[in-house]
Formats: sequence, structure tokens, C-alpha cells
Amino acid sequence: MTDQTPPLTCDEIRDLAAPFVLGALADGEAEAVRAHIASCPELHAELVDFASVLPILAASAPVLEPPAGLKVRLLAAAAADLAQAPIVPAAQIAFPSASEREERRARRFSSPGTWLLRIAAVLAIGLLGGWNVLLQGQLGEARTYEQSVASVLDTASQRGALAAILRPAEGHGAGLAAVAADGSVALAMRDLAPTAGSTVYEAWVIAGDGVPRPLGSFTVGTNGTAYFEAKGSPVEASLILVVTREPRAGAQTPSLPIVSSGTATTEG
Amino acid sequence: MSETPTPLRLRVATVTDDADRSVLIRVSNGELIALDELYERYKTMAYSIAYRITNDATLAEDVVQDAFLGAWRNAERYIEGRGSVKTWLLSIVHHRAIDAVRRRRPTIELPEFEAVPPPALRAPDVWSEVAASLDAVEVRAALGALSDVQREAIELAYFSGLTQQEIADRTGTPLGTVKSRMRLGLLAMRNVMTMNDGTSMSGPEAEPR
Repeated sequence: MTDQTPPLTCDEIRDLAAPFVLGALADGEAEAVRAHIASCPELHAELVDFASVLPILAASAPVLEPPAGLKVRLLAAAAADLAQAPIVPAAQIAFPSASEREERRARRFSSPGTWLLRIAAVLAIGLLGGWNVLLQGQLGEARTYEQSVASVLDTASQRGALAAILRPAEGHGAGLAAVAADGSVALAMRDLAPTAGSTVYEAWVIAGDGVPRPLGSFTVGTNGTAYFEAKGSPVEASLILVVTREPRAGAQTPSLPIVSSGTATTEG
Repeated sequence: MSETPTPLRLRVATVTDDADRSVLIRVSNGELIALDELYERYKTMAYSIAYRITNDATLAEDVVQDAFLGAWRNAERYIEGRGSVKTWLLSIVHHRAIDAVRRRRPTIELPEFEAVPPPALRAPDVWSEVAASLDAVEVRAALGALSDVQREAIELAYFSGLTQQEIADRTGTPLGTVKSRMRLGLLAMRNVMTMNDGTSMSGPEAEPR
């Protein structure tokens, strides 16, 4: 196996197609195959043909669910990418700096065990919507939202808390929610349609029994952001949080369609 | 999905493909929520294969995170291609898992893997989403089409991360034989798949040999 493999012919590619697709070539050879197909006018359908089998091979692996914490780590790492994006200088980001948040956390918790707060902080920045809000100069809205998020983070950072990203069902109303071990709930949302008259948004929690329990209602002004706190949520390893729009406060069953929802889980 | 006689299932699967691709476009725009969606769709597939290869929960998590981050960072480049998002992700996860396994073995050093599929694998979309509606029966039928030695060669390569030369050494088989076992094995699996696609929508009567 040499590192300097001479350019391969189409016949050689056909010969190497199966091991290439299976990842069984030494580096130099695999490189040479890639180099060939990058420039070869021929389609080399055999590669495509063999590769079509891979999903079946993959499906023969025993099915395993990844731990819940993996998603948070992934999203945090991705959000950290965004935070490093050169488009917006860090100085323009009105969000409390990581060190500020660390300090606050350190003051509250002696245990260094939870990284949720740090992660949620970058997540929250991402949730601002890829900086669009800031770029559009809607700093007021961004600040209000970010203060709300900071409050949710305080709840989420408590030991045994659950956190959820709330996703809009139809394009509007994203946010972040946390359920503390004592059943208190904090929820920050943006991009909601303003309420008028007796109309309210109602937050619901769905535990393992599948029954939606009302947590309380809130109104939304023209800036579209909301911060909401409630108590008395059931506490389970996984909860679904749902936001609906209701004609008036006090609804006992949610009206459809759902505005926004997410699954709250603890960190693995 | 047009000129050649494409098996029925492959055509049906393009709905998933379109959905995947629109998620990927949002991913390339830096939407975290879209990445969240992509992850939710394929986390089980990714983690299962990563664990099968690394046999180590921590390593498997690293591989999956790394693979999805690669997708997040390279989504834009990928969108230019036309292959299925699922197979693209699968290949990233596979590459990284093999990479991790090989790094763990001190004798072999690997450079960074490209997180972008080779052009030929991106070109025609005839093989997208094969596994989308796979059930255990079909997997068994396809694997059942392999002889023992073919299966050994394919599994040592795909799941254990051995090179063809290493497989030859380990099994005491000439390299050319290893190569042809892989080739014939993949062809046999492919033929079973095409047969199932073409003939049986309800229950495959394909007899695994």
C-alpha cells in the first residue's frame, strides 16, 4: 500500500468499487478513487449501484437510541458555530457574555456538574434566528426576548430541570422552556402573533398519561415576544409542552391548531 | 426518477427526499431548529450504526455529534448534489466511525475524512432512501443472499473498519478473492433488493438462501 498511488484507470475503479464503497481501501487508494471520479466523465454507475446496498447493511445494526443529552451537545456546538460567524461582531451581541452567565451560575450552584446553562445560552442565541433580528435592527425585541431566555435559563440550570426547544407548528412562535424539579415552568417565546381582546395564549403540559394540563395563559404585545411562568407542572423524565391560542383565559382543553410545542427532557 | 426502469419503492421515497432537502436548505441557512429536525429524523440510524462500528457508547456519541456537525457545516456544499440526504448522512457517520475505530488502533493512521460524498455517489438518485421503508424481513433477505465468506468480508470491512488487505491477512485469503467476495456479495444483496422492490409490495416471498 503506497501513499502515492498513480492515477487509476476506469477499469481499476470498477475493480475497486466494492471495497471503496465499503470503506475498505487504504487511504492512498481511496484518495486515488476519489480523484478519479472527481474528474472522470464516466458516471461509474457501479459505485452508485454498490452504494445502494449500504442502507440495508446499516439497517442490520441493532437499533439503539442515542442519549438525550447528545442532541443538546450537538445543537450547542452548532450554535457555537453561529456565535463565531464573522457576520456579526461579538460586541454587537446583546446577550450576556458566557463568562457573565458562568459567574451567575457559579454563584447559584456550587456543583460544576451541569453544563446545561452554558449550552442553553448559545442555543438561545441561535434561537434569535440566525441573527436576523439583530441585523434587522430590532434590538428592542431581541433584548426583551433575550431577557426572557435568561430567566428560562435560570430555571433550566437548576438540578433535575428539564429543558425544551419549542418549535412553531406553522412558522411562527419559537422559544425555549424549562421545567424545574419543583414543577415550576418558565417559557420564553418570540415571533408570536399579538393577542387582542380576550384572546390569550395558553401553555399546556402533557405528561406520560397523555392528558394536557393547562399551566396558565399569557398575552402578547406587538413585539411578539412573551415570557411566562407557572407552577404545578407534573415532573417526569420527559414532558411535552404545548402552546395554543385560546379565545379566552381558563380553557380546560386545548384548541387546535397547536401554535408551538416541544419535548422537555433532562440532560443525560 | 425517470429514464431507467426505477423500482417502485425508489420512486415513492422521493417524497422523503424532498422533505429532507428542504430541511437541509434551512440547515445551510444556519437554522438551528432545522438541524434539530434533521437530527430527530436520523439520530437513531446514526447512533445505531456508530455504536455497531465503535462498540463504545462515548465514541459513538462523538461520532454522531461530529457527523451532524459536519452536515451542519457542509450542508451548503451538499445541496448542490442530488443524492439522498439520508445516504449522505449515513456515509458521513460511517466514515467517521471507521475513522474513530482505526485511530483507536495504534498501527494505522488516517487523515481527515472528507465530509462530502464523492461526486459519483452524488450524481444520480436511483438509490436514495432504500432503507426508508425497510423492515427486518427485507434486511434478513438481503443479508441471507450472502454466502458466509461474502458476509464475513463485507462485515469486516463495513462494520470493523478493516481494509481489504487487512481482511486478506486476517482470513488468510488472497486479496483478489477478498475483493471478489465483496463485489459478489454486494451484487447479491442488490439483486434481492431489486427483486423485492419490483415484485412484492405486501410480503416478500424472496427465499433467503
